[in-house]
Amino acid sequence: MRVLVIEDELRLREQLAARLQLEGYVVDAAKDGEEGLYFGREYPVDVGVIDLGLPKLSGIDVIRQLRSAGKSFPILILTARNRWQDKVEGLDAGGDDYLVKPFQMEELLARLKALLRRSAGWSQPGLSFGPVYVDTGSQQVKLNNQSIELTAYEYRVLEYLVLRAGQVISKTELTEHIYDQDFDRDSNVIEVFVGRLRRKLDPDNRLNVIETLRGRGYRFALEPTSAAGPR
Amino acid sequence: MLSLNARVLIAASAVLSSFFGLAGFTLDRTYHKSADGALVERLQDHVYALIAAASMDESGRLSIPAALPDQRFSDAQSGLFAQVTRNDGGWIWHSQSTEGLDIPFSQGLSRQDSVMRDITLADGRQLRLYSYGVVWSDTEAQDPSLAYTFSVAKDMADLNAELATFRRSLWGSLGGVALMLLAVQGTILRWGLAPLRRAENELAAIESGQQPRLKGKYPPELRGLTGNLNALLSHQQEHLERYRRTLGDLAHSLKTPLAVLQSAAESAQDSRELQVVVKEQVARMNQLTGYQLQRAATSGWTVLAAPVDVRAISQKVLAGLRKVYAEKAVAAELVEGEVAVFHGDEGDLMEVVGNLVDNAFKWCDHRVRIRIESRTIPKSEAVDLFILVEDDGPGVAPDMVRYVMQRGRRADSHTPGHGIGLSIVRDIVQLYGGSLEIGNSELGGAAVHVWLPARPKDLPMLQGA
Repeated sequence: MRVLVIEDELRLREQLAARLQLEGYVVDAAKDGEEGLYFGREYPVDVGVIDLGLPKLSGIDVIRQLRSAGKSFPILILTARNRWQDKVEGLDAGGDDYLVKPFQMEELLARLKALLRRSAGWSQPGLSFGPVYVDTGSQQVKLNNQSIELTAYEYRVLEYLVLRAGQVISKTELTEHIYDQDFDRDSNVIEVFVGRLRRKLDPDNRLNVIETLRGRGYRFALEPTSAAGPR
Repeated sequence: MLSLNARVLIAASAVLSSFFGLAGFTLDRTYHKSADGALVERLQDHVYALIAAASMDESGRLSIPAALPDQRFSDAQSGLFAQVTRNDGGWIWHSQSTEGLDIPFSQGLSRQDSVMRDITLADGRQLRLYSYGVVWSDTEAQDPSLAYTFSVAKDMADLNAELATFRRSLWGSLGGVALMLLAVQGTILRWGLAPLRRAENELAAIESGQQPRLKGKYPPELRGLTGNLNALLSHQQEHLERYRRTLGDLAHSLKTPLAVLQSAAESAQDSRELQVVVKEQVARMNQLTGYQLQRAATSGWTVLAAPVDVRAISQKVLAGLRKVYAEKAVAAELVEGEVAVFHGDEGDLMEVVGNLVDNAFKWCDHRVRIRIESRTIPKSEAVDLFILVEDDGPGVAPDMVRYVMQRGRRADSHTPGHGIGLSIVRDIVQLYGGSLEIGNSELGGAAVHVWLPARPKDLPMLQGA
């Protein structure tokens, strides 16, 4: 998943970026409103973390301009201001949730996960697909109630596909949302991850968990069984 | 910018000068015309008198007596001249006064023809000439030997002198009256604007710290302004007071966690222990600053503020919270009674509604109900605001209710997370002289009633509002 972080305080920005990368996010970090707006317009962002008090262009203006440019990715507002007037203004401008500084990193991570899930149309952290169960909160994956060990990259690929179950996802899209820009797009590392995921989730090769659509991409093919399926 | 005094005086001067100018011009014209008419009439009378004095002798020659009825024809200095000529040029008579002068009288006029003209003599004198044609016969025949032209001339100096005298006295008196009117106007203005000058002096005294508010008695037209100014001043003073108090409280209460941090930094055995202490104290300091700064930001009664639309504010808050709590799929309804307005600060109202509704969303199972209503208080015409926020959650624990409701209790330390919202609401409501009650809702959870009175008695209403 690709996160856009717009925060002018250097230390906080670096800490946020480091922690988010550790959690498996691809991070685009901007130091002011103008740069942030540019990143938000140009990169395939999945979720934004935007501070309200920014130099050059205020956070509220960045959110407004992103929304009017048709960008619909969820946005978590960071604000040092505690007044409801500020919170409501941010939400009204197009923010989806807010967090008042100082905040705990765990809280921020939980909010981001919830926003990503919600934007994909899921209302619960636990996603069930027959024998396959993915908990986006704890990042656990189970097959027939047995935990499965996945590497960080394998989990990222799976989560991206699962949140968009039923949709065809191109290899380019997967790469963009899972790797930094400088990643070599021609490599077949995605195919390798998908192959490993197939072996781990479907050892007997009966479920056809991830379909390959030649020339188009991949699709997570299992039907959701939890009530909270995609809307 | 021009002073009020100068504005009124300039306008009055312009009006007065154009009025008197026009009046003077009209009077002057009229007088000139009538003086001119009188001169013409006099000249005609002189001609008729000459005709009456003339007689035809037996030989058919006209004769003018040497002693004319008007003595001035004989006096060279009189400025009155006469000439009679026969139209065939064979006979001419001059009055004695024309001796030595060459006056170009008209000649050869037919019966009853007349000519009037003004001429200037070589010596600069202006004369008005009047000539009239007469035929000394009863027949209609035009025999030039019987036709005469009677002419009279008069020096214009008298008329001009008379006109000049009139003009002098006219413009002199008009100017005098105008000046007097301006002076009266200036005096009235000074008297009328005296209260404003007094207010200015009082403001200067307030600025220099000699007095805290406007004290003088002011006319009804200014009372709205001075009353609101006083209210604004005391509002500002209260605000400053509160800032000072809050900053004092804040500085004081931050010292404790800072001391804990310092001693931990000096004595903690390992980084893990330090981490725990830092986390704890940062949370505490965060709560302290949040609460105290919130208190300082609370505005209280505002003067000269437009009423706040409670419904619009509530809808904004609801729309925001629906996003934040999207996963909970809360069924929230906004019930509106009579038109709900609030005569306070918009930010304060948003704080009250935001905190209450946020709590309701947080603790509800799936239902939240907000009721806003303005109620007119009998006999006082004041309109109070009532807000009720209900949910179907577990309700507020009696301990928490007691804790929040304790008067004067500051919820700034060790208050469990959600209590702080209610404490903030309580503080704001208290500042407005209203009340906060926490009870049970028929929905099954908490019901929080807020009453915000219309406006305290010592705050003046806007005049005419």
